[in-house]
Amino acid sequence: MHTELTYAELASLMERRAGVIVDPADLELQSDTPFADFGLDSLGLLGIVGALENEHGATIPADADACRTPRELLDVVNDVLKARA
Amino acid sequence: MTAKPSRPDERRTVITGMGVVAPTGIGTEEYWKATKEGVSALGPVTREGCRELPLAVAGEVHGFDPAALVEERFLVQTDRFSHFAMAAADMALGDAALDAAGAGEFAIGVVTAAGSGGGEFGQRELQQLWGRGPKFVGPYQSIAWFYAASTGQISIRGGFKGPCGVVAGDEAGGLDAFAHAARSIRGGTDAMVVGATEAPLAPYSVVCQLGYPELSLVREPQQAYLPFTDRACGFVPAEGGAMFVTEEETAARERGVTARAVIAGHAATFTGSADWAASREGLAYAIRGALDEAGVAPEEVDVVFADALGVPAADRAEALALADALGRHAARVPVTAPKTGTGRAYCGASALDTACAVLAMEHGTVPPTPNVTDVSGGLDLVTGHARQADLRTALVLSRGLLGSNSALVLRHGADARP
Repeated sequence: MHTELTYAELASLMERRAGVIVDPADLELQSDTPFADFGLDSLGLLGIVGALENEHGATIPADADACRTPRELLDVVNDVLKARA
Repeated sequence: MTAKPSRPDERRTVITGMGVVAPTGIGTEEYWKATKEGVSALGPVTREGCRELPLAVAGEVHGFDPAALVEERFLVQTDRFSHFAMAAADMALGDAALDAAGAGEFAIGVVTAAGSGGGEFGQRELQQLWGRGPKFVGPYQSIAWFYAASTGQISIRGGFKGPCGVVAGDEAGGLDAFAHAARSIRGGTDAMVVGATEAPLAPYSVVCQLGYPELSLVREPQQAYLPFTDRACGFVPAEGGAMFVTEEETAARERGVTARAVIAGHAATFTGSADWAASREGLAYAIRGALDEAGVAPEEVDVVFADALGVPAADRAEALALADALGRHAARVPVTAPKTGTGRAYCGASALDTACAVLAMEHGTVPPTPNVTDVSGGLDLVTGHARQADLRTALVLSRGLLGSNSALVLRHGADARP
């Protein structure tokens, strides 16, 4: 199991859980762009946070699904994963 | 009954675009070619997880590739019934050359009818719920399996911010949706995307239908759905349906698009579930109401698209309702039920019949009732081959298994005001 959420994993989750197709490199280059601009809505983000919890067996803070950008989400999630490591 | 003159100041609703996803064809051209030839698409149930169930025959939509028609984002978030709806709406919008960009922000609305909802999507998520726990249920479950899903997604996808709604009113809802659209247009909306599609051939949905005594469990496709005959044994379910663009007559003309038909009249009644004899009075009342609203006399009806449930008591009630409402004309007017070749896709069935009625008027052709040969019951049911006729007025009938009865009167597109 990865101990860190990468832009590649996030891009994969966005496609599988919400049908939003985005190149991992673009996601990293535009990491301060709001999720909405990628076509990801709040239900989609909620599903991604749920999938991360299930896949990592971790409890992610409830405000994670309020993250507006990829960078914000990675910061919140990776703080949790690092604290457990 | 005296026909009332239609008020010149009334905003009339015309059909300017149609899209069909049916077991007999995807797109109006393919569908009409099969329908006028009396092709039957009834066959074995092959949808995943359904083969072991007692239902043997259905009208499945084959060759529908959602990925080729709808963006990934909308596919992942929605059920098959919404995939059908989005694809059919695209065809209708293309046919009408209409999009939100050229219209005012609130000028276009959406209304669909649904009786089955997103059974396949819902089942998958419910299996996650009891198989792995609540944390494994995806959030799109909160929208995808509900009746309103197709309306919402068509609205979001097309940017249509006018009045939106959903009719959850069993099979007859497919006709009632047109009344809702016409009401929005009378109220000032320029255009409404309207119709119904269903995808009830998932295990969860099929099991729900097994409780209907009217469901045909006959295993031979050519014998499974034979309304108005001595061998009537219930109805065959189906998936698919049709979507339309309806517009205010003047707005359509100003855009330079042709009216394919006029939505002239509609009425609906409710006579309760499991009482087909009572549907006679309810259906007759609906027919009279629809003709009255259209300002059409009974003898002006040129073709009837029957509900044709295939249950003897229901078929008898429908024939009597036509006699009650149309008088002696009921024995003379051509009646057809093309749905014996597609099966009944619940709300999608009456929407599909509406598309068929428009195509029939355009082509001056009454399509036949597939698989039916030996008609009993006093109606002039068109069987075997299509019949050529000048069709200016069509009457479409629908009844729901839970007691709704509706009638829709359509006039030929040339009846639109010059």
